[in-house]
Amino acid sequence: MSIRQLSPETINRIAAGEVVERPASVVKELVENAIDAGARDVEVVTAGGGLSLIRVSDDGCGMSAEDLALCVERHATSKLSEEDLFDIRTLGFRGEALPSIGSIARLEIVTQEQGGSSGCAIIVDRGAKGPIRPAAINSGTRIEVTDLFSATPARLKFMKSERSENLAVSDVVKRLAMAHPQVAFTLVTGERASLKLPACKADADGLLQRLGRIMGRDFLADALEIAGERDGVRVAGFAGLPTLNRGDASQQFLFVNGRPVKDRLVVGALRAAYGDTVPRGRHPLVALFVDVDPRELDVNVHPAKTEVRFRDAGTVRSIMIGAIRHALEGAGHRASARGGQDTIATLRPVEPAAPSRTTGAAWSGVSSRVASVPSSSPLSDFESPQGRVHGFAEPVQAAFTAFSATGADASADAEPARADLMDSPLGAARAQLHETYIVSQTRDAVVIVDQHAAHERLVYQKLKAMLTEGGVARQGLLIPVIVELGEEGAETLAEKADELLELGLVADRFGPGAVAVREVPALLGDTDVDGLVRDLADEILSESDDSALKTRLEAVASRMACHGSVRAGRRLTASEMNALLREMEATPFSGQCNHGRPTYVELKLSDIERLFGRR
Amino acid sequence: MRLVIERGELLRALGHVTSVVERRTTIPILSNVLLKASDSTISFKATDLEREVIEEAPASVETPGTLTVPAHMLHDIVRKLPDGAQVELQREAERERLTLTAGHSRFALQLLPAEDFPDIAVGPLPHTFEMSSADLKRLIEKTRFAISTEETRYYLNGIYLHMATRDDGAMLRAVATDGHRLAQVDLPLPSGAEGMPGVIIPRKTVNELHRLLEASAGSVTVSVSDTKVRFEIGTVTLTSKLIDGTFPDYARVIPQANDKELTVSNSDFMSAVDRVSTIASERGRAVKLNVDGNKLVLSVNNPEGGSATEEIGVDYGASALEIGFNARYLLDIAGQLEGDQARFMLSDPGSPAMVRDSSDGSALYVVMPMRV
Repeated sequence: MSIRQLSPETINRIAAGEVVERPASVVKELVENAIDAGARDVEVVTAGGGLSLIRVSDDGCGMSAEDLALCVERHATSKLSEEDLFDIRTLGFRGEALPSIGSIARLEIVTQEQGGSSGCAIIVDRGAKGPIRPAAINSGTRIEVTDLFSATPARLKFMKSERSENLAVSDVVKRLAMAHPQVAFTLVTGERASLKLPACKADADGLLQRLGRIMGRDFLADALEIAGERDGVRVAGFAGLPTLNRGDASQQFLFVNGRPVKDRLVVGALRAAYGDTVPRGRHPLVALFVDVDPRELDVNVHPAKTEVRFRDAGTVRSIMIGAIRHALEGAGHRASARGGQDTIATLRPVEPAAPSRTTGAAWSGVSSRVASVPSSSPLSDFESPQGRVHGFAEPVQAAFTAFSATGADASADAEPARADLMDSPLGAARAQLHETYIVSQTRDAVVIVDQHAAHERLVYQKLKAMLTEGGVARQGLLIPVIVELGEEGAETLAEKADELLELGLVADRFGPGAVAVREVPALLGDTDVDGLVRDLADEILSESDDSALKTRLEAVASRMACHGSVRAGRRLTASEMNALLREMEATPFSGQCNHGRPTYVELKLSDIERLFGRR
Repeated sequence: MRLVIERGELLRALGHVTSVVERRTTIPILSNVLLKASDSTISFKATDLEREVIEEAPASVETPGTLTVPAHMLHDIVRKLPDGAQVELQREAERERLTLTAGHSRFALQLLPAEDFPDIAVGPLPHTFEMSSADLKRLIEKTRFAISTEETRYYLNGIYLHMATRDDGAMLRAVATDGHRLAQVDLPLPSGAEGMPGVIIPRKTVNELHRLLEASAGSVTVSVSDTKVRFEIGTVTLTSKLIDGTFPDYARVIPQANDKELTVSNSDFMSAVDRVSTIASERGRAVKLNVDGNKLVLSVNNPEGGSATEEIGVDYGASALEIGFNARYLLDIAGQLEGDQARFMLSDPGSPAMVRDSSDGSALYVVMPMRV
């Protein structure tokens, strides 16, 4: 077979295979164009999961008729200066998107240049470029993509369900919306408007508003602003409190120069920053915005630009860790407000309004049956979700009985709350319940503290501080443990020798692919040295974090803390309780115990008032 | 099976065998003890698959037979019977049960098939020698504290018993180490032990053996092969598998050139270490030894709890030295010394120290220092 030059149509279709993977990729390219065009309001409409229709309208700068004719040509762009390929300040720059889309679908662009007098339009139908014709439009651009992948049936076969394509589209729009709070977004998939985000101010408040709309109200209440800057790298954004966490990492967002990207860097940085404050297997919520000089960054790793490479990844990572840690330490004892809301939700009775609207039978003796057989009740739609129905069910009632019974004797030795203590964040201790929970009062809330969890955390923080300050005592080994790690592993471990020495581990090279461990942290006792060193080498190699040793030391500290702290069941005097509360306020991370559970919940007075129908 | 046995004999025999029976096991028959009655004796056998203990006791056997019953339950029953009671054991013919009758008490225990009871395939034990149980006990007692509990270096989870040659003749030597400290005790080689292989006796076997030796005077017959060891102590026979591994070349870690000799009263040293280490809060806190001339200062510094120092007079001729050790390791070793004086052979703060009994050359201990 002889070698032939491929036709431009074929070339475009091949390029489209890289850029346009699924409808969401089209949405991403078009919305990025809109943002690059300085749009203030972007509307995205899709139908059939984006396969039958994608329409993106913006109020950006638009294009002249000449530009319009050129923009659908391959490698035509306004965004890249040929003098400096590395100075990339826009989301797009490759000049591939429109011709790629045009080669596999029907593409219609209607645009009017800002300040121009009339609009114009062009249609590209599966690679066949039509003529420029006049069209009516206000300033801005509207792009319609229909019959996506109709020119590439093979790709069409690999589309997932309409629902999952819609989800992917909405994910793309959400990510871009998080990065550009000053732009209003509307997304309509199918018939209903699934997302409507008004423009926010471009400052931190505006950003948080936008993030709250997308990441949920919990995040809005529990987010800490983070900021860090060094060597021209700026990290900003918001990080959730450790007690606000999820089972997967889907709520962790990274934006580099306004571009949503996925990078493993974040995973390691978050693990190092949150450390032992988040339970194993749980993931904190964050939205991180990194700004670096575009020259320090390679965004051209992949045509879809979802990955980036930093020239100096170490600096970026350490600034991220530093900024998040700083914010978390500043948060001190703050625990997620959700704890309080959850509690209130559990206590809240079923709204009596629903049954009252029926025949009235609900108020007679049969009322309890309505709740117990929701499926047969015509009113089941009006009822709270199952989990909430138990509002005044037996166990909760029983808890109240116990409340009053022990409350009486426990409060006997609690002195009257001093006014000055009420102003401190955790308030003045009023009583101890079940010899386990401290109840304190602030100006506008009731705080319930788990005494064991709280004290355990305090002891643990103290032990950790001792570890860092006093140095880790090292026990020499009579027989050095030789660990075979392979050339690479042994080399990386040897490079970290100084850091490991500080943590109490002395290991040096032993032949080509092995290290000899000569001293280990005395705290670990008779430990599995081989396993420890292997874990360490793996972690260092995978660039995640050299925390294996630290983790183990902290695990020992954590066990010692558990034994050395006030147990549940110990009766505390009022001054002991107040001392504990004051120490919690002064200790970083005291809002969660060593296992990541909250150490206290705060019930706002307003919530309690709602509970009793006073509001 | 039908027999009558005196309660004391039964209790003694069960006491010897039941402690190898694990309280929780995934194989039901391992919770049982095998009873075998013949002529005028009854034998008891218990196992955890790694080791087995067999004990015999006199009994008036009417009908011989073999069966298995839950070991701990039988032991508990017999323990609660009155002293001097005559216990009658009888297998119910029609049901798979053993009836135990003593006075007015009557128990029926479920049986498991005797043929399912596991047997350690012992094989030939080519090396056999006899030694006094006091000697064997001494070997164990002075070394077992140093046995490692860390499972990945499994070959350190026991006592290494082997032949060693010294200037004054062949020795039977026991060594244990956990990588931080080492204990070594020698005995003149008993006749018959020549050519025995070096064996690592697992920790649980060591503890069982020690328990059995405590109850016995007299002598012990030891039989060894490459994979098994057997101890016959009076009427009890303990047979155990060995740890299948190579004990490290421990001789290399015993310092040869430590020339700084320090002699101290062992009891004074021990109580001083014990006192100053009270200040240490966390596990593995170092006690610092500062020796200059004839003065040894022990100190512990705990940033949280405070500090402690104690001074004791010693015999020391070398240059001043400061060296730290894990307080518990020092106490463990000092506790093994029998003489009045402990003799430390030191080198520098990073090298192992050797400790010996000044009056007894048969035992030596090595401990690695700690550094902060």
